[in-house]
Amino acid sequence: MTTTTIPASSGFGESVRRLRIGPYLFVVALGLIVFVAIGPQQFVNALTIGAIYALIAIGYTMVYGIIELINFAHGDVFMVGAFASMFVLTSVLGQEPNSSADSAPQAVFLIVTTFLIVMPVMGLLGVAIERFAYRPLRNAPRLAPLITAIGISFILQNIIQIIFGPSPVNTPQVIPPTAKIQIGDVSIGVVNIFVISVSVGLMIVLQLFVSRTRLGRAMRSTAQDREAAQLMGVDINRTIALTFFIGSALAGAAGIVQGFYFGAITFNLGFQAGLKAFTAAVLGGIGNIAGAALGGFIIGFVEVTAAAYGLFVWGQALVFAVLIIVLVFRPSGLLGQQLGERA
Amino acid sequence: MKFARVGAAIAAAAIIVAACGGGSSGGDKTLKLGVTLPLSGGAAADGQPTLKGAQLAVDEINKKGGIGGYKLELFPLDHAVNGKYNEQQGAQDMQTFVNDPAVIGVVGPYNSAVAKVQIPIGNDAGLLQCSPANTNQSLTKPEFGGLDFRKNHPDRIAYIRVAATDDIQGPAMAVYAAKTLGLKNLLIIDDVTTFGKGVADTFQAKWEELGGTTAARVGAGADTTDFNAIITDAMTKKPDGVYYGGVVTSGAGLLLKQMRQQGLNVPFLGPDGIVNGNGQADGSLIKIAGAEAANNSYGTVAAIGDFPAKATFDAAFKEAFKADKEFNTPGAYSGPAYACATVILDSLQEFLKATPNADQAAIREGVRAWASDPAHSFETVLGTTAFDKNGDTTQPFISFYQVDPAAAGGGDWVFKEQQNFGAQ
Repeated sequence: MTTTTIPASSGFGESVRRLRIGPYLFVVALGLIVFVAIGPQQFVNALTIGAIYALIAIGYTMVYGIIELINFAHGDVFMVGAFASMFVLTSVLGQEPNSSADSAPQAVFLIVTTFLIVMPVMGLLGVAIERFAYRPLRNAPRLAPLITAIGISFILQNIIQIIFGPSPVNTPQVIPPTAKIQIGDVSIGVVNIFVISVSVGLMIVLQLFVSRTRLGRAMRSTAQDREAAQLMGVDINRTIALTFFIGSALAGAAGIVQGFYFGAITFNLGFQAGLKAFTAAVLGGIGNIAGAALGGFIIGFVEVTAAAYGLFVWGQALVFAVLIIVLVFRPSGLLGQQLGERA
Repeated sequence: MKFARVGAAIAAAAIIVAACGGGSSGGDKTLKLGVTLPLSGGAAADGQPTLKGAQLAVDEINKKGGIGGYKLELFPLDHAVNGKYNEQQGAQDMQTFVNDPAVIGVVGPYNSAVAKVQIPIGNDAGLLQCSPANTNQSLTKPEFGGLDFRKNHPDRIAYIRVAATDDIQGPAMAVYAAKTLGLKNLLIIDDVTTFGKGVADTFQAKWEELGGTTAARVGAGADTTDFNAIITDAMTKKPDGVYYGGVVTSGAGLLLKQMRQQGLNVPFLGPDGIVNGNGQADGSLIKIAGAEAANNSYGTVAAIGDFPAKATFDAAFKEAFKADKEFNTPGAYSGPAYACATVILDSLQEFLKATPNADQAAIREGVRAWASDPAHSFETVLGTTAFDKNGDTTQPFISFYQVDPAAAGGGDWVFKEQQNFGAQ
C-alpha cells in the first residue's frame, strides 16, 4: 500500500470535497417527490426493482469504464445467475420450487449457501467470457468485441433455453413471499427489505473495495490510462479479469434476488433487464459506479410511478424519455463518465 | 467472384432439388392437412393438445382407408418462437401451406394476432383455414372490420372457425362475474394484444352495463414480468376480483403469483387464454402460479365444453396418446380441432364424391367452397356445426371452467357450465 505513488484513498473529507453534490440532491429530491406522490408501499416496490437494476447496471458500467466495451452479454449473465440460484436451491439444497424455508435459521443457511456458490461461479463465468471472447479482440476495431458480446448473449440464452426450456421456471422463494412487516398501515414484504439491503450492502462493499484497496486502485488506474498503469506495474490482464469477476458476481447476486422476489424466471429475462440496466448506467454516467446505482433506482422510480398513476403501459416510454431529457442537459450522464477518480 | 458463382450454383441446384421433391409428392395419392399452431415452449400447453385433436381425426380417417382413394397426411408447422406465438413465423408457415399443392386445408391458428396475418394469405390463395380457438371478433365480422382481412376477395370465405367470438366471450364472463360470483368492483388488466385488449374491452363494456365498477383498467404489455406496482395500486381501491384479458405467455401466471404474494386473494378471471393445462404442463397458468395460488380462478372457453360425444372423444384421445408423458389428456381446444379437421375432411369427401378426378388445385378450391357454404352443415364431435356468411360458427358456445387445486396432475381446470349464444 505504501510503495505506490497513486494516493491509496481519497479519504472521507476529500471525497466530500470531490463530490459534485448537485446530482445527488437531484436524486434525493426526486426520491422525496416520488415518495410523496406514490406513497410508502409503492416506494418500496420502486426501491426493490431499482435495486435489482442497479446491481446489474454496475457490471455494465465497470466494464465500460475499464475497456470501453458495452458488454451486451451482461444481462444474460444476470439471467444465468437466476437459473444457477434456482439450480443450487432445488438440486443441491433439495428445496421444492414454489416452497419457502421452514424456519429463520434454515432460511439464513439457504441464502448464505446460495450466495457463496452462485456469486463466485458467475464471477468465473464473466472471467471466462472476457478471456475467450473479449481479450483476443482487445486491440481489434471496436465493432468486433461488440458483436462477440451480442454473440455471447445469444449463446447464454440458447444454452439455458435448451437445458431448462422456454417456459417460466419456478424457483424456491426462500423468504416466504407473504411474510410482511407492519409499520402503521403500511405492510412491507420481508423479501423487499432483503432485496434492498443485499443490493445496497453489496454496493457499499464494492465502493469500499474500489476506493480503499490495492486491487481497487489498480482498477481505477487502468480505467484512467491503461498504458500508464501498465508502466507502473499494474497487471492489466488480471485487473480487467477482476473487473469482469466483480461485475458478473454482482449480476449473479441480482439473479438470486430476482428469483427470491418473483419466484419465476425465464431464459430471456436478461434481455429486458439488461436493457434497463444499461439505460441506468448511461443515465448515471457510464463508467461511474455510483452513477449506475443511482440510475437503477431512478428507473425503478419512473416505472413504478407510471404504474401508480395508471400509466403502466407507458412505463418504458417514460424511462427512455427521462433518459433523453437527462442526456440533453448532461450528455455524460448524471454523475459524469469516468470510473477512475470519481468512482 | 469465384466463390459467389459456386455458391449461386449450389443454391440453384438446391432449389431444383427442392422443386423436384415438391413435384414428386404430387404424383402419389396423398393429400395434406396443414396444422398451424404454436407447439413449443410456453405455448406448447396450448398448441400440443390442439394439434393432437386434429391428428386423431386424420389417423381415424386413414384407418378407414382414407377418402376417395387418397391417404391423408398431417402437416404441422410450429410458429412459436422462443416459446411464444410469432406472427411473422405464422405468415411464413401459411405461405408454405399455400405453396404446397397437396395441402387441401389448414387447422389453426390458436392466437387471433396470428390469424390477422394468415387470413389475407389464405384468402388470396383460396386455401381453407379452420380455427378451433380464434375468438377476436374483428377477424370475420364486417361490423368489427372483418372485411379488412379479405380485401381482395370479400365474398370468398377461406377462414372459418368453430370458436365463439370475444364479443360473446367477454360479456359472458361479465355476466358470470356479476350474477354467479356476485362480484362488484374489478381490476381489469389486458396484455395490449389483438386478443387480450379486444376481449377485455368487451368484458368491461358489459361489466359496467351490468352495474359493476372498474377499480382500475391497466394495459401491461406482453413482456411484463413485474406486476407488483399495478397490484399495490389496485389494492388501495379494494377490488373484489381481477379480470385478465390475455394469455399465459403474456404474464397471466406471473400476475396471479404476485397477486397472491401481495395478499390479493380475490377471484382471478380470464378468457380462454388462461385456461391452458394442468399443474404439470410446462407453461400452464397453474404451474407458473402454483396450484395453491391458482385456487379461486375462473376462465371462459369459447367452445362447447360438455359436447355430446365428449366421453367417447376423451377416451379415444387418451388411448391414442397415452405414450405421451406431457400431453395425454385433451385440452379445451382438442375437441374443436378435431371438429375443424372433420369439417375439412367431410368437405373433401363430398367434393370428391361429385368430382372424383379433380386435380389438386380443384380439390383445394372445392374443399373451400363446400366448407364455407352456409347451406352445408357438418356432423362433428361438437354436434351439428355450420358456418354463417362470414365463416363464424352458428353454434357459439361459452364454457366456464374453475381451477381445482386438488385435481389430478397438480391441479387442473374443471368444467362448470356452458351456455349457447346461438339463439340470441
